[in-house]
Order: sequence, then structure tokens, then C-alpha cells
Amino acid sequence: MEAIWLYQFRLIVIGDSTVGKSCLIRRFTEGRFAQVSDPTVGVDFFSRLVEIEPGKRIKLQIWDTAGQERFRSITRAYYRNSVGGLLLFDITNRRSFQNVHEWLEETKVHVQPYQIVFVLVGHKCDLDTQRQVTRHEAEKVAAGYGMKYIETSARDAINVEKAFTDLTREIYELVKKGEITIQEGWEGVKSGFVPNVVHSSEEVVKSDRRCLC
Amino acid sequence: MSENDGVKNMATGEETASLESGNSGPDKQPHSADPSAKQDSESEPIAPTRKRPEIKPPSEPVTSEVLPDEGLKSVGKDPVSKEVPQTGWGYWGNWGKSLLSSASATVATVGQGISNVIEKAESSLGIPSPTEISSEAQNTEETNVKAGSIYKEDGNTSPMGAALGVFSTISMAVQSTGKSVISGGLDALEFIGKKTMDVIAEGDPGFKKTKGLMNRNSTLSQVLREAKDKEELRTANKVSMDTDKKAHYGLLFDEFQGLSHLEALEMLSRESEIKAKSLTNSLSGEELENLKHELEQLKEAFSLAEFSDEEEDEKKEDEDFTTEITELFSQLHVSTRPDKLTKARNTVHEWIRMSSSKPLTKEEEEEGKQVELENPEQEDKKTIEDIHAFAIQSLAELTAYSIEMFHKTAALILHGQKQEMTALKRSKTLSQMTVLLCKELSSMSKEFATCLTTVGVKEKADVLNPLITGVFLEASNSASYVQDAFQLFLPVLEISLIQSQIESSQSP
Repeated sequence: MEAIWLYQFRLIVIGDSTVGKSCLIRRFTEGRFAQVSDPTVGVDFFSRLVEIEPGKRIKLQIWDTAGQERFRSITRAYYRNSVGGLLLFDITNRRSFQNVHEWLEETKVHVQPYQIVFVLVGHKCDLDTQRQVTRHEAEKVAAGYGMKYIETSARDAINVEKAFTDLTREIYELVKKGEITIQEGWEGVKSGFVPNVVHSSEEVVKSDRRCLC
Repeated sequence: MSENDGVKNMATGEETASLESGNSGPDKQPHSADPSAKQDSESEPIAPTRKRPEIKPPSEPVTSEVLPDEGLKSVGKDPVSKEVPQTGWGYWGNWGKSLLSSASATVATVGQGISNVIEKAESSLGIPSPTEISSEAQNTEETNVKAGSIYKEDGNTSPMGAALGVFSTISMAVQSTGKSVISGGLDALEFIGKKTMDVIAEGDPGFKKTKGLMNRNSTLSQVLREAKDKEELRTANKVSMDTDKKAHYGLLFDEFQGLSHLEALEMLSRESEIKAKSLTNSLSGEELENLKHELEQLKEAFSLAEFSDEEEDEKKEDEDFTTEITELFSQLHVSTRPDKLTKARNTVHEWIRMSSSKPLTKEEEEEGKQVELENPEQEDKKTIEDIHAFAIQSLAELTAYSIEMFHKTAALILHGQKQEMTALKRSKTLSQMTVLLCKELSSMSKEFATCLTTVGVKEKADVLNPLITGVFLEASNSASYVQDAFQLFLPVLEISLIQSQIESSQSP
């Protein structure tokens, strides 16, 4: 029953252009680091399964957005249907860190009436010598917005798994507690379909029923 | 909840990864290795995505739920004004303008799934569902008779008739496929193979309508999503999904993110449509007249004769696809390249070349044995089922990448740098590209069929034929998707045209 997943979460990855959004996602979904990559045009799509507990899988649909301003009107359309997001900045680029506020403001406007669980990601942490943002101040900003902070590197595969799975777990917990619910007309969280034979835990049965009703 | 996105198939992902195709689909799931997913498919090697639109049995509880919701999302501002032609926009304009909203509005207000509506129309006409047709391919005569009656319906122009017309068109499409299926075996191979394009183009009397299909009913992605969801549901219920799923076109198409890109393209198209409408409304007098004239020309490029010179082109089929598509792309003047597509395409061709000659000569058999010894898993596994599975996967992959390419191109036309090229020129290039892609899909399916016949020379016809038919069926579906996606460019290029005209009038 490997192919079964409990939920599908849609995650959006945002941040200034060239902070490494696409590289982070590709490391996560394809397991490799792309040396050269063209700037993302509009949006790109990726997906992967994550096992958060033994036997419990979540399917992540990841929306990779263009950082460039000119595509903003396209990418904005994707906030609304996301349940979670990774907000990236480049630790070697102070500007990209300062823009974190703007990104959060923008999402706030466009995500209504839903909410996105964000994690702040300081990317390119392999380039520590060129660091322009300290971990401490990033953590402070993150805490101010009630986000977690994590530093990652797609090149050296540092914390890439963790960034995504931690966020997935956080959302999963909220879903379990009922603080995030599956809603009609909203694609952020969807319930998976589980065949009859696996109806063991209550949860599974529940999610199944949701589907059929 | 709009979808029963049931069991997402890791089996397929695995299969993809294990096919040594060397491509890097975005759907690889490196952390989910599951050897058990690699069994050979025994049961139902064919799982064709049926012809659009997906028609579900009325008992299906999912249907009614899926669509109203989808509809709600896209309900436009003008909920009821649909079938009324809006002056000056011509055939396609009317469609483009009003159909989408009408479709979704209908769904929203009636509160009933599109497939249900179709279902009704179908049953009232006594038309078998496409699934039935393709599975019960034998009853030629019956279906032919029905086709006749459908055809008559098609001519009807009253609003209700128009709606029925669409359904009939669908059925016609199905019918033509059905017919091909019926012819059976190598005849079918010959027939469909040569005629894939014809069937879609001239051969299908409802072609033009088919093209506008997604606008009228629901969006293409909705239809495809429905098909995919249903398949997921079906396989989930069947439990034996590992084997079953890997050759399912719809699921694979989604794995390659084709569905997402299609939705994204539809979104751009829809937005452009609304914007184009409001921009044209702001114009008047001479300006408006000029614009109308140009828009008319643009529309022509979308509705005319894309396939007219097919015969001549047949000769230069050998010409390199990669070169051609790259050349066409450069003519578009957008900063994106078709690399992903050409790479995948070349991998496919390499695979075909490798596997089609294989089991024939003694030497190769020897060689095969040797390889087998060295690497029992890898080689010698090109059974006809493998080839079929790979064919379906390749078609899904190439179609998905074609649509991704279209999506990116549309995004760049809308949000790229300054207009370097007129909308009209672009539309012509895109049209050529569509033709090229469809031809490629068609010729690829022919190669796969040849490959299947070569390898399966000892197989019984009733084993081999369904596989071959399945390949042609999906190739023909693929080509329709590409063409439908191309149609989504019209509003995008309209915007580009209107904007450049406004700009030029503002700076004399």
C-alpha cells in the first residue's frame, strides 16, 4: 500500500529572485543540485510524498514561484490555495532578508480568507563566509511573525528534508487538531483516498468518509 | 472538497524512475523506493484515458461533487448571458468570451456535475459512453448507426441543440476512435496511425467544436482531472493498483505535472479573456473598428487550416524534430527553450530504437542472454506490456511537457519584456508548433506500434491488438490536448494585440 497518502498539502515557495527557491525544491524532489538554472517563468510544479510517521504519508504539491516582480500577478493567484509556505531569503544577500516583511504583507492580502503556515528559510547556508544575515536576527524576525526559522543549503543538501518535513508535520498537527480543515473550494488540504483494507485507524476511516460524502 | 484525489500512485513514480529513460521528470520520488511496485502488469494492461470528456456512470457519487465546486471557483461575472452571441467577435470570439463562464455558471447554478449533464444528454440520445465503446469495440454496426443519429444532432443550432451538439461532437470523437478500434488489429494500426491527424482534424466533422470543447463544457483540465480522480478511485478500490496504474495515461500526465501546467495556462487564458473584454469595451469608433479587424485576423490563425498541408509535409517527416521545434521557438521571441521537451523526446526515440530490433536475430538473443546474466533485472524485460507501458508514459510525458512549454510561453507573452513580435506572427508560429507536436505524437505512436508488432510477433492478436490500439488512442487524445491547449492562447494573444495597439495609439 505504498501509494496511499492521507492528505495532500499544497505548499508555496516564495522569496526574492535568485535566493534559490527552485534549487531548494529540486534538491528536495529530485535529490540533486542543478548548477545552472534559468529564472523561473511564472510558476512551476513539483510533487513528492513525505512519510511523517511510519505508514502515514502526505503528498506535497509544491508551487515554485518566480521571484521576479514582473510575474507577481501570476504568482499571487497561488497564495489562496496553499496551506503552507516556505519563505526564502539568501543569507548572503541582506536585501532579500529585508524584503521578508514585504512578502509576508503581500501574502496576507492575497491569502484571505484562509491562512498559510509559513516557515522562514535562510538559504545558501553553505556560503557562511559571505553571510550578511546572522542566525540570531533571522530567528528574531521569524519569531515576531510566529514562524520557525531554518537554515538550508541545496548545494550541500543541508536541512532540505527537514525544512519541508517540519513544515509538513506542523500542518499535519494543525489538521489533526482541527485548526485547519478541509474546505470546499479550497485546495490547500485534501484528503487522500484509502482503500478498504487499510481502514484500521480512526483517522483513516474519517478521511475516507470525507471523500465519499 | 472538490476531489477525491485518491491514492496517488507511487507505483507510477517508481516505474518512471526505473525505466532508465534518463529523463528527469519532476515527479521522481527518490525517497520512496518500493521494490514491490515493479511487478509486471498482468491485469488490464490497457487503461486508456477515455476520450474526453469523461463520462461517469450515474451511480458514481463523486461526480456531482467534483464539479459544482470547480465551477464555483471560476464563475464569472456574467452568469446567464452565455449562448447569446456577442457581436463582432465572430465564431471563436463568442466561444472564448462566453463559454467558459457559461459552463461554470451552469454548473454552479444547476448544482450538478458536468458529467452528469453529459450523462443525461448521452442517455437521452441513447449513446453509449466512450468507455463502453472502447471496451465493447466489436459492435460496429450498432455504433455506426448511432453515429448517424448523433451527426444529425450536430447540425442543430438552437441553444439546446448547441449544447447537444457539443455532446454529439464528443461522441463523434469517441465514435471515430471507436470505429478505429473496431477495425481491429493491424488494419486498425494502419488506419489510426495514418489517420490520427485526419481523425482529429478533417476526419472529425465536429473538429472545430471539439477544439472549443473545453470552453463550452468545462475546462480541459477539469475533465482530465475528473478522469484522473476517477482512475485513482477505481484503482484504490481495486487494491491491486500497483500493476494497474502504471500505464494509465491520466495519472501519468499528472505525474509529469501536465495537469498543473494546463490549469495554469487556463488561468492565464481566463484572465486574459476578462482583461481583453474590458479593454475592448474602453475603445470606440475608429480605434475599435481597427482593432476588430485585427482581432478577426488573429482568430483566423486559430481556426484555419492548420492541417491543410499535411500531405506535403509527410515527405519531410524525417526532418529533425529538435531542430524544427527549436527554430519555431526562436521565432516566438520568448526567453524560454523547449529543452525539456526535446530531451524527453530524444530519450523516447532512443528507447524505441533500442528495443524494437531486439528479439529478432539470433545474435541479439545471445547477446540478450549475456546481458541477462550480467544484469538480469535490467535487460530483456521489454515485453509487449513494457513497451505499451513505456509508450503510454512517453505520450503522457511529451504531452505534459508540450503543455508546460505552452504555459511558459503564455506567461512570457503576457509578462515578458517589450513586445518584439506581433501577436499575429506569434499565433502563426504557435499554430505551426501545434502541428509539429501533433505530428510528432502521431509518428511516435506509429513507431511504438511497429515496435509492438515486431516484438510481439508471436503474440496472439487479441493480446497484441488492444495494446496497439491503446497506444493510438492515447496518441490521438494527446494530440487533442495539445490542440486544446493551443486554443487557450487566443485570449493571451488578443491581450498582446490590444495592448500594442493601445500603446501605438498613445504614442503617435
